[in-house]
Amino acid sequence: MNTRQTPEWPASDFTRVPFRVFMDEDIEQLEQERVFDRVWCYLGMAIEVPGPGDYIVAYVGRTEVVLSRDEEGRLAAFVNSCSHRGAQVVRRIRGNAMSHTCPYHQWCFGARGELLGLPLLRGVKGKGGMPEDFDKTAHGLKALRVEEYKGLVFGTFSPTIGSLHDYLGPRMRPQIDRIFDRKPRVLGYYRQRIPANWKLYLENLKDHHGALLHLFHATFGIARPTMTARVALDVERGHSFTHLADNDEDKVQVRAAYAGTEQYREDYRLDDPSFLQVEPDYDDRVTNVIMSIFPNLMLGQVANTFQTRAIRPKGKDEFELFWTYLAFEDDDDEAIEGKLRQSNFIGPAGYISLEDGEAGRMVQIGIASRPHDSSFVEMGGRGALEDADNISTEVAVRAFWKRYAEAMAIDGDDRR
Amino acid sequence: MTKSEASGPSARADANLVLDINDLLDDYTSLIDRDDLERWPDLFVADGVYRVLSRENIERGLTAPLVYYYSQGMMRDRVTTLRDALTYEFVYTRHVTSPPRLRLRADGDVAVTSSFSIFQSTEAGVTRTFAVGAYEDIVTRTERGVKFRSRDVVLDTFGVLNNIAIPL
Repeated sequence: MNTRQTPEWPASDFTRVPFRVFMDEDIEQLEQERVFDRVWCYLGMAIEVPGPGDYIVAYVGRTEVVLSRDEEGRLAAFVNSCSHRGAQVVRRIRGNAMSHTCPYHQWCFGARGELLGLPLLRGVKGKGGMPEDFDKTAHGLKALRVEEYKGLVFGTFSPTIGSLHDYLGPRMRPQIDRIFDRKPRVLGYYRQRIPANWKLYLENLKDHHGALLHLFHATFGIARPTMTARVALDVERGHSFTHLADNDEDKVQVRAAYAGTEQYREDYRLDDPSFLQVEPDYDDRVTNVIMSIFPNLMLGQVANTFQTRAIRPKGKDEFELFWTYLAFEDDDDEAIEGKLRQSNFIGPAGYISLEDGEAGRMVQIGIASRPHDSSFVEMGGRGALEDADNISTEVAVRAFWKRYAEAMAIDGDDRR
Repeated sequence: MTKSEASGPSARADANLVLDINDLLDDYTSLIDRDDLERWPDLFVADGVYRVLSRENIERGLTAPLVYYYSQGMMRDRVTTLRDALTYEFVYTRHVTSPPRLRLRADGDVAVTSSFSIFQSTEAGVTRTFAVGAYEDIVTRTERGVKFRSRDVVLDTFGVLNNIAIPL
């Protein structure tokens, strides 16, 4: 392990990000061990496994795990790889089962991943079978610790990490509460296979591209650089959130902000803008909330859409973006219809989101021959990592890299 | 090659209607593959519905669409933004579709289903399979010929290869 190199950071304030972190297989291996295996990782929502035996497949980095609910209604999670010879045990991505039998040699596991039994334990006619000292309790599926906050379920391999409550921290919890104190229900899932390193999406969530790349966004008032904005950091934990709210800024201001670009067009009119005219769920005029929980969870709001996005690495240059699109139990039919209409903002085909996948693809291609160069991350200033009251800043990007670099620099195998 | 599933001769779509529907389906795929997107909304009635749905969500009874346009205006807006606003990869597309299955409905409209494969080719001429799935349509007769009352694009490929920009 020590022969593998951790990334070297050209600037101590993380105003430079070496492109190597997006394209190096050694780094990808190392971040499984030093990032994903040591943190609280989002697995899914409690409402997705409502009853005993319900399960879903989820991921901790590249590791496939099963989130399950046992006979007594307790949540559990285990690695989806047989403790015998390693085969995938659970083969559907969702379902209900009080036990899971590995199809290869019929080892049978309970809803918490514990080994219930196996055939040929004592062999046949006194011959073969397991050694006398075989201990079933020592051969369950590798278990994770599982904790839940406001219906969001996380798992960890770390035996030493503190509670999920502390991991999320005092800055993020009120933001989560704003949305998840309501009882959600799943409207649907979206999946995108984005040809880019997963960390490029984290950068995308935390930077100031929203009102620049997304002309649709800018023109129709979902996000403009002149809106009331707040970028808040939890530097120690690696989380951040961005808020945008309407503030009736005037057109002169808006034009000035876009000077030198072609991204703001007042002559732009929609033939049918009805899907923009959906009654908002909240009266705080907040149009965008992008919460980013280290390392790979986004929670948020775009207009009147609410969602979780799990950023699942699938190799050094590909990730799955897995969306869970939410409504709330207190939504009436009109509110639900509004959310279905505003699905046109988000997901793989959404006016706003489709461009984020394209951004990742463009960067991955652009940097391919530049492993020894770095990006330039000084929008918003250098040095201290502090909250900002505007979105003309990349400070949250730098804060992410600081937390990532700290995790990657810590040697040793404290996981599992 | 069109097969009617309706029972009894009186329920069969007449030959001209079958030909008109075949033309509509051909127009749809060929105008997209020719990048003649401005004509795409004209294949629908004014309050026509175009949706892209995932097989995963449908199987689970979940209603969230990937795309949900419920007027020609919204379809025109998509085309305008594709031309002027959205940033996406340039590709050539090619649709390959199965013969349609037709079923006359009690209201006189025709339910039409067909399978599709959509290939994308880059500017460098490299081709990939982008999406496979099924079209589930309601086609109606109007003074301007047959039009889509609705077209649902049901994706088997709901793990979308990056993103969906132009209509499927």
